[in-house]
Amino acid sequence: MVQSTSARKSLRTTLEVPTLRKSYYAQTLDDSKKGKKVAWCSNNIPSEILDAMDITSVFLENYATVIASKRLASGFCAAGETVGFSQDVCGYARMLMGYVLARDKVPEPPYGGLAEPDFLLVNSYSCDSRLGWFAAMSRTLNVPLHVHDAPYQPEGPSHSAADAEYIERELRSLVAFLEEQTGTKFEPDKLRARRAISRQTSDIMYEISQLRKAVPSPMGSADMFTAVWPSMYLAGTSECEEFYNRLLAELKERIDGQIGIVPEEKFRIMWSGIPFWYDMRLINYVEDFGGIVALESFYRTRERRLPPQDDDPIKDMALSSVRQRAFPSTIIASIDDILEAVKEYSIDGVILSYNPSCRMLYVSQTELQKALEDQGIPTLGLECDMADERTYSEGQVKTRLDAFVERLLAKA
Amino acid sequence: MSSLITAGVDIGSSTSKAVILDDRQILSYSIISTSFESETSARKAVDQALSKVGQISQEDIRWIIATGYGRVIVTFANETVTELSCHARGANWLFPSVRTVLDMGGQDCKAIKCDDRGNLLNFVMNDKCAAGTGRFLEVMARVTELYLEDIGEFSLQADEVIKISSTCAVFGKSEVASLLRQGKKKTDILAGLHTAISNRVYTLLRRVGITPDFAITGGIAKNIGVVRRLEERSGLKVLLPDEPQIVGALGAALFAQDKLSNQ
Repeated sequence: MVQSTSARKSLRTTLEVPTLRKSYYAQTLDDSKKGKKVAWCSNNIPSEILDAMDITSVFLENYATVIASKRLASGFCAAGETVGFSQDVCGYARMLMGYVLARDKVPEPPYGGLAEPDFLLVNSYSCDSRLGWFAAMSRTLNVPLHVHDAPYQPEGPSHSAADAEYIERELRSLVAFLEEQTGTKFEPDKLRARRAISRQTSDIMYEISQLRKAVPSPMGSADMFTAVWPSMYLAGTSECEEFYNRLLAELKERIDGQIGIVPEEKFRIMWSGIPFWYDMRLINYVEDFGGIVALESFYRTRERRLPPQDDDPIKDMALSSVRQRAFPSTIIASIDDILEAVKEYSIDGVILSYNPSCRMLYVSQTELQKALEDQGIPTLGLECDMADERTYSEGQVKTRLDAFVERLLAKA
Repeated sequence: MSSLITAGVDIGSSTSKAVILDDRQILSYSIISTSFESETSARKAVDQALSKVGQISQEDIRWIIATGYGRVIVTFANETVTELSCHARGANWLFPSVRTVLDMGGQDCKAIKCDDRGNLLNFVMNDKCAAGTGRFLEVMARVTELYLEDIGEFSLQADEVIKISSTCAVFGKSEVASLLRQGKKKTDILAGLHTAISNRVYTLLRRVGITPDFAITGGIAKNIGVVRRLEERSGLKVLLPDEPQIVGALGAALFAQDKLSNQ
């Protein structure tokens, strides 16, 4: 019997996500059976392009979070370890390499498993483990791999024409790879239609992000960690746009009715970094003390308005991408973003998750924590793997949280 | 009978402590080994502390606060407060000038920053590792076949400091056993071990920031080898409570006194 570890949600719209996610994975299996090409993707691979070319995308990190949230990660990780992966390697990579290389040793996979891939798509810039992980899968599964690159943006969102041109070239190279794999010609009109929906969705999400500044908080991270899912995996679809329209309406309703998450909001927390997927109830923990995790960083800390639409959909994606991207292109810009968000969202303290198996994020969290403390913002660091619950000690984590709450309440 | 009697109970991984206060004066305290039953340990600790006073019973205690890892299991306590806040409060009450507290207990180590009233300002704890804890020193005392209470003093009698590369209790034990087989002197090995854990603990202090005055609480405060090395590293004189193990329970009993004052 799998123990439920989901965070307690407060918004009815968020409760739609598990159904959307389940049907998404069912659809990928169905597509595969019908002979559609399937791409296993890392995050930040633009699904709108794949969708426009009638390719089914399966995002492995998302599947890893599904496994972890069902408390199956230790079995998948252990399978990865039997084929030689150290416990120091990224929990997501370990799990999926366990799935690929030792499928007979993993527990029953959620949603009936993954549709088998025809090719792999990985971005080069989120971290280094991901490149090695996808390269190893490409060799093991004997399927082609395409690497999608982007320029490093030390100042965060960029206005540089050269940066946009670089991404445009990379996107065209991705399209060429997909054309070669599918034998189908890319049709700009199909992508243009999806871009139009994505832009409208982006505007709605911007409005949602502004509304979340309200006190009492109309929507905390317990909801947003789930509600962010359609924007990441159903981008450019009307299903996605409609979901955020409903979410926006619900937020307005809550703000009009002064409906918060807790009866009397005493303090507001930001969660920085990847949450611990196997114990999402932790996000609700401070609610018993009148606190609320009101904002999260890492996935979409601060929404930005997109630049005017370009008629060329590839160019449009490139221009939007350079203007929006903060993580992981730069630590410094992310820190500035978070310091601003702390003020804008009336945050009293920040919890930072430290995941030793994610080197890139671990290092930047250290710098962020220092910057926050320098500004007089109380912080708490919690060190656990984001997926492998064997690294988690509930007693230790809750003692730290209790002490952090005492610190915040003493300051209040 | 005073109506201002409170108790603090600190259920740690190795020992359970109780402190009885009457109007902010220590009436008595106790330190006992923690059994598998935290609730039983808590009751025994309170009973033992009460037995030293005589004339008062648990019914006379107006407010009881539990702290330590077993705090949530103490059903007879009126409330719980974390050991981080309690050590800050207790140490600052004993030494009002204290702003940094290092609590080195049986299974964890905490660097704590507090204000002039003993309020918790910040803290850093060790994660998932026994290095720098009482458990580590217990293991090393056993492998060197010495009493735990003696190893700190022995470590100061070394001719040389043998570098110990592993601060993992398990691998460290193997390394020490190997050094002993090579005929290395126990004092020199102990100097290396104490230096290694002091260096490790010092990183916690640096992370939280050392503001004078600086006190060490918890069982390891009784280890002079660790204390001296931390004094050397920090350049600060360490303030040591007469009974460092009860500081958490004392802080809890003081919070209970606050409760009575606010009623």
